[in-house]
Amino acid sequence: MKKLLTLVLCLAVLSTALFANGQQEAASGSDEIVIGALIRNTDEQFVADYADVLKKLAAEAGVTLKLQDSRGDMAAQLDQMNTLLVQGVKHFVVVANVTEATEDMAKAIHAKGGSAAFSNIQPSVEALKVSPNFFLASSPESVAGTFQAQIIDEYFKANPEKMANGDPDAIDAVFLYGQLGHPAQVYRTNAVKQGLIDAGYKLNVVAEDTANWKPSEAQAKMDAWISAYGGEFDLVIANNDGMALGAVESLITNGYLDDPNDPTADLDGDGLVLSIPVVGVDATQVAVKAMDEKKLLGTVLQDAVGQASTAFELAVMMATEGSAAGKSAYGIAPLTAPIDEAPANDAAVVGQCYLVPFKAVTMENYKEFMQ
Amino acid sequence: MDNTKTAGSNIPVKIKNFLSTHTSLVTFIAMLIFLGIITNGNALKLGSLQNLVVAEAVRAFGALGVGMIIITRGIDLSLGQVIGLSACVSASFAQTADYGSALYAGQEFAIWLPVIAGIAVGAAFGLFNGVLVAYGNLPPFIATLGSMSIATGLKLIYTRASTLGSLKNEYKIISQGFMGPIPYLLIYVVIAAIVIWVLMNHTKQGKSIYAIGGNAQAAKVSGINVKAQLMRVYLYAGILYGMAGVLMSARLGLANPLTGNNMELDAIAAVTVGGISHAGGVGTVGGMMIGLMTLGLINFGMTFLGVNSYYQLLVKGGIIILAVYMDMRKHARKE
Repeated sequence: MKKLLTLVLCLAVLSTALFANGQQEAASGSDEIVIGALIRNTDEQFVADYADVLKKLAAEAGVTLKLQDSRGDMAAQLDQMNTLLVQGVKHFVVVANVTEATEDMAKAIHAKGGSAAFSNIQPSVEALKVSPNFFLASSPESVAGTFQAQIIDEYFKANPEKMANGDPDAIDAVFLYGQLGHPAQVYRTNAVKQGLIDAGYKLNVVAEDTANWKPSEAQAKMDAWISAYGGEFDLVIANNDGMALGAVESLITNGYLDDPNDPTADLDGDGLVLSIPVVGVDATQVAVKAMDEKKLLGTVLQDAVGQASTAFELAVMMATEGSAAGKSAYGIAPLTAPIDEAPANDAAVVGQCYLVPFKAVTMENYKEFMQ
Repeated sequence: MDNTKTAGSNIPVKIKNFLSTHTSLVTFIAMLIFLGIITNGNALKLGSLQNLVVAEAVRAFGALGVGMIIITRGIDLSLGQVIGLSACVSASFAQTADYGSALYAGQEFAIWLPVIAGIAVGAAFGLFNGVLVAYGNLPPFIATLGSMSIATGLKLIYTRASTLGSLKNEYKIISQGFMGPIPYLLIYVVIAAIVIWVLMNHTKQGKSIYAIGGNAQAAKVSGINVKAQLMRVYLYAGILYGMAGVLMSARLGLANPLTGNNMELDAIAAVTVGGISHAGGVGTVGGMMIGLMTLGLINFGMTFLGVNSYYQLLVKGGIIILAVYMDMRKHARKE
């Protein structure tokens, strides 16, 4: 028993001491700037990139960054926020788990006189109304959908014969959605549909369902759709790259290739080895690589560097100057007039909204996005 | 680590015995002291302890439920998903009426409805599990694996896979309120733990539960209605999960299809660390709570020290394996 007790204690001691980053003293009243980062889940590529940028910026600026990864668990994110608040951390960069939690988070941070800049997952209008010290440092999701529509428009203008499946006069599309009701899912989807209609197309939705942002779910869904609607659709539209690549895998394994015997051959000259084009959003490195392999038609860059830098600059500004009202961050000025998308649709909080532009990644420019 | 030396041979036997029978308690206290020392006392401030309690309170209800089930030599994998489903159901009746995206937009419900609805969902699943295990003779692992999947499906269907937010303040206060420095959540946990402790230690039913876990055949021969008792244990556990779901949604101020995911593993790990034997018939309510707080402290301590969450998983896994190993050793020696 004695030995075992020693073992347990050793493990407990080692566990805390060994992996600790020595940050525990950070917030004890020195001049040092401390920023807390509450990050949803670094298993997601965009969020991982975002966290890496934050770490780099903090190291360069000599700022102590207390980064917490909630691994997709909202309750864990609240616990982590509470822990950092108790440690005296005031200013935060937040990639929340869900929009609906942002108001309570803002209230808790505000109660300690702090501030936060929200990226990726939009905060609610109510969260920004808690105090002028809460910011949106993110990209309007609808723009991603509009860019997807542009990429699709260019493709079908250049290759009108590719609309032959199903209704030959319409774009027959299948849609892979992210988590239903998620702002990114809603706004991206509405915008790409509207964008295609505005460009003069008849849009026929052959099938649509959620794959919860996941490649594996998207692949399974796509396999089922190919069995059910094979040959009836011209296009796959996904709310993110992960699902787009899941669809690409499914199309490849089901033989939707220009030349089933040579998966690298582009026989019809449309720039793709697949017979059905697929578009995504995020411009993750795997997606850009898939474009290089002619498997993915296009994607839209959700700018991890831009969002992280804007949020980080806002947090540092709050820590050093106590206010960021009206100031630019990462060269981006606060919004002056409301747009259609929450939370930047409320005139009372537009001045707290910093919109980081999306960038369309096409066959022409994708090489610029390869790292 | 000096504490371990106190178990040396020149110390009175009483202390030695105390250490060996209360290993988990001693470990917990030693860890608490250690964490206090390396953070100059910062980790033990009132605010920190409040956070620790609040973070573990919901899991405590799950642990009490599954702890009882494990004592009967059963297991419950549906715990996390049932808590999640009951969180979603309760949240749906607690949304502010003027919230446009509410599941029942425009409808005002009494404040007791979400509480009752959430507990009812948990109880229904508990009863379902109990019937499958006790009367259907399904292995608990399989029965609750099935109900886990059913609960996950219902959660997605009911919420339409979206987040149920904007809960009323008078509902959120159930979990977020404080009585002086004491979080309401702590009060609920203490009450629940006392009720379960009385049930397990001072009622005939409690003795039956231990007897069933020790040897179901012998329990049957000695006149215990094994089936009825087993079913009740699952039902009680379900009621506790229902309460956990209500408290969870009130605490987060929302519920979504992800709520409750993986909670079964945390709860099972906690009671295992607390000395509840998977061989059945062994374990105490105090042990469950200490196990829970030990894992909670490890979580909290590593967050406090800024340990990368990926490493946190390694440490947690190591501690669970070690705890079970110790448990097995103890029983091997007894035999």
